[in-house]
Amino acid sequence: MRAVAQASGLRQMGVRPPLTDYVRSLWARRAFIRTLGQAKAYARNQGSYLGQLWSILNPLLNSLVYVFIFGLLIKTTRGTENGIAFIVTGVFLYRFFDSSVSTGANSLKSNMSLVRSVHFPRAVLPISTTITELTTLGPALVVMVLISWASGFIPSQGEVPFTWRLLLLPVAVALMWVFNTGCAFMVARWVAITPDLGNVIPFALRFVFYASGVLFSVDHYLKDHEALAGVLSYQPIAAFLDIGRQAVLNDPVAAPLDLTMWFVALGWAILFLVVGFWIFWRGEERYGRD
Amino acid sequence: MSIPEEIDFEVDADDLSPLAADARPLGAPSLVVDDLYITYRVFGGKRVGAGVGAPPSLLKRLLGRGRTHVGGVTSVEAVKGISFVARHGESIGIVGINGSGKSTLMRAIAGLIPPTQGAVYVSGDPSLLGVNAVLMGSLTGERNVMIGGLALGLSPEEVREKFDDIVEFSGIGDAVYLPMSAYSSGMGARLRFAISAAAVPDVLMIDEALATGDAAFRKKSKDRIDAIRDQAATVFLVSHSLATIESICSRTLWIHQGKLVMDGPAAEVCAAYKAFVKAQDGASR
Ligand SMILES: Nc1ncnc2c1ncn2[C@@H]1O[C@H](COP(=O)(O)OP(=O)(O)OP(=O)(O)O)[C@@H](O)[C@H]1O
Ligand SMILES: [Mg+2]
Repeated sequence: MRAVAQASGLRQMGVRPPLTDYVRSLWARRAFIRTLGQAKAYARNQGSYLGQLWSILNPLLNSLVYVFIFGLLIKTTRGTENGIAFIVTGVFLYRFFDSSVSTGANSLKSNMSLVRSVHFPRAVLPISTTITELTTLGPALVVMVLISWASGFIPSQGEVPFTWRLLLLPVAVALMWVFNTGCAFMVARWVAITPDLGNVIPFALRFVFYASGVLFSVDHYLKDHEALAGVLSYQPIAAFLDIGRQAVLNDPVAAPLDLTMWFVALGWAILFLVVGFWIFWRGEERYGRD
Repeated sequence: MSIPEEIDFEVDADDLSPLAADARPLGAPSLVVDDLYITYRVFGGKRVGAGVGAPPSLLKRLLGRGRTHVGGVTSVEAVKGISFVARHGESIGIVGINGSGKSTLMRAIAGLIPPTQGAVYVSGDPSLLGVNAVLMGSLTGERNVMIGGLALGLSPEEVREKFDDIVEFSGIGDAVYLPMSAYSSGMGARLRFAISAAAVPDVLMIDEALATGDAAFRKKSKDRIDAIRDQAATVFLVSHSLATIESICSRTLWIHQGKLVMDGPAAEVCAAYKAFVKAQDGASR
């Protein structure tokens, strides 16, 4: 049988292609990845009267909740110039990571009908979910910058002027997107093979949330624990939050402009992308069977 | 209920123009299926035993009950050792009762479900048209044409080029600008068929996709299938309508419980299958 197949130049189906071929076929599908990701983002806000207006309203309501609870009721933002802007930037960027990982984890399962009807490199799915999150983040970033700026007019809060550093924000978001995609690859494979892990991910994410200084300044609260503070502020999420804040905030204490942090973030992004992609590719021949 | 001699919801008598299929010369192999096994992993189910012998002890029953809720993983062997070779220009029908593994076999050939054991070799990119080739219901038909076309490996320009053709062929008119969730099942099936038929694959598989269309659409899709076959491709057709199979296919495979029971000219296999179904029907009464 095999000889017959080889004699007539047939290709074997359902096996994992070599890594280079896999990357090439993924690149050939880039239009598909983008279209699928953006279509999902668009579909999210459908089925309501306000429609796409929710892509602005959603983040707006969200930040109001956080500002109200953590900025005004429970003061967690000691050691920052402008607590409101600090929290809003932290929450928005963290949500980008959080939702990329949790939708990425289910990217194979939630697209099972697509997986079972068309053949394409499955890595399309985790990437397109992070594209969806990136598309959703776009309008949210505008809200984030505007709220941070507006909070500067509250007397007790430091000013947040628009500076040239805002130009760095897209770079920070792009790096974070690369990192998120790497994470989405990893969890997508683990959850596809062992669905139980899907239940553990929310807890892991909540842990990361509190360990990353989304609501408080790690440096300020861990002043006395040098080593721990070092680890916590150079871990990936903290690094990405920090470079995002460097771009938006005008805070020489909590988020001073610091080039090393950008290189740390770049390193994490590349490392996670490469490792995550490799992990995902290794499972390619198993996706869709169960 | 007894099964009448001819149950035929799908094909009108005038569709049944005999094809010159058998006269077509067969080309080189386009598909080799080599001892294929597909096992599904199913969570939260329980394998029902053979049902003979003494009833299990109380302890075993309790344990068994627990395993349905915790750690209940069953494997379902859907395809068990199928081998065959298909050639260019051949159109092959697949028959079998519900749950016999037809759709699973098609998916494995299309590379959608990786084999547990054995191998599938195909020329070019096979494409599967199925009833469950679900696109995104919340999006308009227009967006779905784009997504479906890109998923099949066309470039955005190619999809835009073919857009009018696809809509024209599907015949759903302006409904293409409505969300697909607002479509009737036949309209959805038409659009899906039109999208998948836009790319001409080397191996085309049709899994009951014609069943929901009306007479006009069935005629159209039959013409399209013939056209694809003329381009020296291989066509597989899964259908519960033996008349459809006999009118479109030259060769037929009969699958039962994941195994290939019979492989031969459509008329012979269909007759044998019909006899089998009748016998079963008789036995169950
Ligand atoms: N997604 C799935 N997960 C687990 N088991 C499945 C799945 N799909 C099918 N099966 C099992 O595989 C076997 C074959 O199913 P399949 O869908 O291939 O049958 P079929 O011949 O297409 O039936 P039908 O005529 O009803 O379409 C069945 O026993 C079914 O229980
Ligand atoms: Mg089926």
